[in-house]
Amino acid sequence: MKFNDLVKMGLRNLFRRKARTALTVIGMVIGTISIVIMFSIGYGMRDSFIEQVMENGSMTVITVSTWGYTIDEDGNYIDTGEQKLDSDLVESIKKIDHVKSVGGMLQKNLQLTCGKYNSGMMVYAMDSSTFESFGFPGLTQGEYPTADHKDIIVFGSQARNSEFYNWGSSRGSNSKTIDWDRDTISFTFSDYTVNENKKAFTQVIKNYAVMEESENYMFNYYAWMDLDYFKELYTKYANTLKLEDRKKAIASLNKFDQIQVNVDNMENVTAVQDAIKELGYSSSSDMQYIEPMLQTSKMLQVVLGAIGGVAMVVSAINIANTMIMSIYERTKEIGIMKVLGCMLKDIRKLFLFEAALIGLLGGAIGIMLSYLLSWLINKYGAPLFESLLNTSYMYGETTGGFSRIYFWMPFVAMGFAMVVGIVSGYLPANRATKISAIEAMRTEG
Amino acid sequence: MQVEKEVKTVLKKEKVSSEKKEKNSEREKIIVLKGVKKVYRMGTERICAVDDVSFEIYKGEFCCLLGTSGSGKSTLLNLMAGIEKVSSGQIIMKGKNIHHMNENRLAKFRQKYLGFVFQSYNLLNSMTALENVEFPLVFKRVPNKKRRRMALEMLKKVGLEDRIKHKPKEMSGGQQQRVGIARAFVANPEIVFADEPTGNLDSKTSKEVMELIQGMARVNKQTIVMVTHDNKLAEYADRVIRVFDGKIISIEENDHSQKKEESDVNDEIAQVNKETSNEETSNDINNNDINNKDTNKEEFTEEVINLKKAEG
Ligand SMILES: Nc1ncnc2c1ncn2[C@@H]1O[C@H](COP(=O)(O)OP(=O)(O)O)[C@@H](O)[C@H]1O
Ligand SMILES: [Mg+2]
Repeated sequence: MKFNDLVKMGLRNLFRRKARTALTVIGMVIGTISIVIMFSIGYGMRDSFIEQVMENGSMTVITVSTWGYTIDEDGNYIDTGEQKLDSDLVESIKKIDHVKSVGGMLQKNLQLTCGKYNSGMMVYAMDSSTFESFGFPGLTQGEYPTADHKDIIVFGSQARNSEFYNWGSSRGSNSKTIDWDRDTISFTFSDYTVNENKKAFTQVIKNYAVMEESENYMFNYYAWMDLDYFKELYTKYANTLKLEDRKKAIASLNKFDQIQVNVDNMENVTAVQDAIKELGYSSSSDMQYIEPMLQTSKMLQVVLGAIGGVAMVVSAINIANTMIMSIYERTKEIGIMKVLGCMLKDIRKLFLFEAALIGLLGGAIGIMLSYLLSWLINKYGAPLFESLLNTSYMYGETTGGFSRIYFWMPFVAMGFAMVVGIVSGYLPANRATKISAIEAMRTEG
Repeated sequence: MQVEKEVKTVLKKEKVSSEKKEKNSEREKIIVLKGVKKVYRMGTERICAVDDVSFEIYKGEFCCLLGTSGSGKSTLLNLMAGIEKVSSGQIIMKGKNIHHMNENRLAKFRQKYLGFVFQSYNLLNSMTALENVEFPLVFKRVPNKKRRRMALEMLKKVGLEDRIKHKPKEMSGGQQQRVGIARAFVANPEIVFADEPTGNLDSKTSKEVMELIQGMARVNKQTIVMVTHDNKLAEYADRVIRVFDGKIISIEENDHSQKKEESDVNDEIAQVNKETSNEETSNDINNNDINNKDTNKEEFTEEVINLKKAEG
């Protein structure tokens, strides 16, 4: 049998029993809606949750700090200890599976000066070649440092907004808003007391860049520099200090204040943290804190998915039932087809096609209605969800809503609906091929 | 006494047909049955529907399986068509043992070589006459336009060109059977099996239908194997195989075309009637079969008389 004949015949058979076909399709529609909506709610909740956490940093970043603290399995604080963070450690962390990039960071305070006015800012220094892999945001102004031009200071999106104050003013401290394009601004470090015998270190800010607004606070309020450039400047600064201070200052450049580790996937963060622990270092990540909560939301997803799954199983049984009924009705027809030389595989294909079509049709309609329902839930469902789940904090300011249909969900649901159709049509279809032709032709109908 | 004579006549006739059998051996055997048996198990009971049957069907002939109801004709036909499996024995069709074929090859074989006409028409009620006739061609993967044309032509031949859009329920029995015949012949099969094709029709329509089948088969020299319980219908056949209780009790030739041979036979019959000597010993196996079964003989004889009357 040719494919188009198969299709024609299948459609004819489905049309012959309009009411039954419609009811079976409706069953499938309900199954699809429940599974899509349940998943969309599960994902919607997870996403709004993650979004909220994302505001406090990136979910795939692990931080190893000089002052590491140990926590027990339940997340309770136990102890704090100093850890030695050096380039050897960076190298060993790089070797851990799932680690995308590792950056040793120095962290110092900058003192900014514009005439008589002063301001402070935290600066992070890190190998500029790793910037990209840590998901640094785009720039609204300037360029990131490159291997050739390292002498660039990159400000977080909000970093330049802080006020400058004149502390020494006789009329008390008064503030000034800086015009970064016109005013000359320079910076220095203030970690040690000034050595009066030498000319104080100061560096005028010439090349700078500004980051775009980011969800990660690290890229909003601080300044970033390339590690080599930073060390060069800091060494200059150290050379202006008293001998004692100079030694300390130079030594502080040899170990990192913190090491940031970027992991390829959220799921692997915990595993990488365990591996770092085996190296003898404690580390922290945002993931660590939200992991239990994520687990809860995952369980919720499973429960919701299971509810949808039950509806799907019911509609699968419904299809199987329809197909079996259809075979009983068409016993004679199948017998005639066999005698007229229809191949068994064509009979099987015919029934599978009918079952798959019911599944596909139900799936398609179900998905369309799911979009509608999802929209309604997001529009009118807020009070219900908030009272139901009592977790309004999770939905504070999210924009995603309670139900979120990912672009892949319709495809998966459609494929799933079709597979359900075929699977539930398979046994009836096989049964149809086994019908004995003479028995079939003896039956009435 | 009269009855005895008639039996003798038949026996003589058998002898003639056995001579013809030799002539037949030159013709191509399209279906050969060798020791075919079909046993149904009904609980503990075993019903031997076809009991050790051997015969041949020649290419291009119209062969009729004649017998009373329940004698196993339909079973025999279904075995030949490969719709049912033999319990033992062999059926060789076009040189191939059909019971060694798998379902797929059998389906292909049916598409290519076989056509079927059924007593209850077995049309698909959801389809129009045209679609029903097209149906076997769908399985043969004949292109749409071509098969439509073939089906139309076929319906014209059976005189239903004005009924092509009608569903089976909207047609009379005779019309439905003509659709059935069109369907059986549309793919131009070499062999057409017909199980009581006129069983549900009145005698006038039966005649039309039989003539249609006969006419169709003649044009393309197709082989027809028909099952019937009606002696009159058997007259349309070239050869009549009598079945009783799952066994073959006789094979007769009906000669339509060569009247001369027919008269030869009659001459011989006349001779036999004059000589009243016993010729049983010189007869073939079929005769022995008959003699072994007394009950059969009686019933069989009656039928022969009927046949004679019909002829006369
Ligand atoms: N499927 C079956 N199961 C059991 N017995 C059967 C079956 N088909 C036929 N028979 C028996 O086999 C015998 C021959 O049947 P059938 O070939 O239909 O006879 P006919 O066509 O000559 O009237 C009958 O006695 C019938 O009861
Ligand atoms: Mg019968």
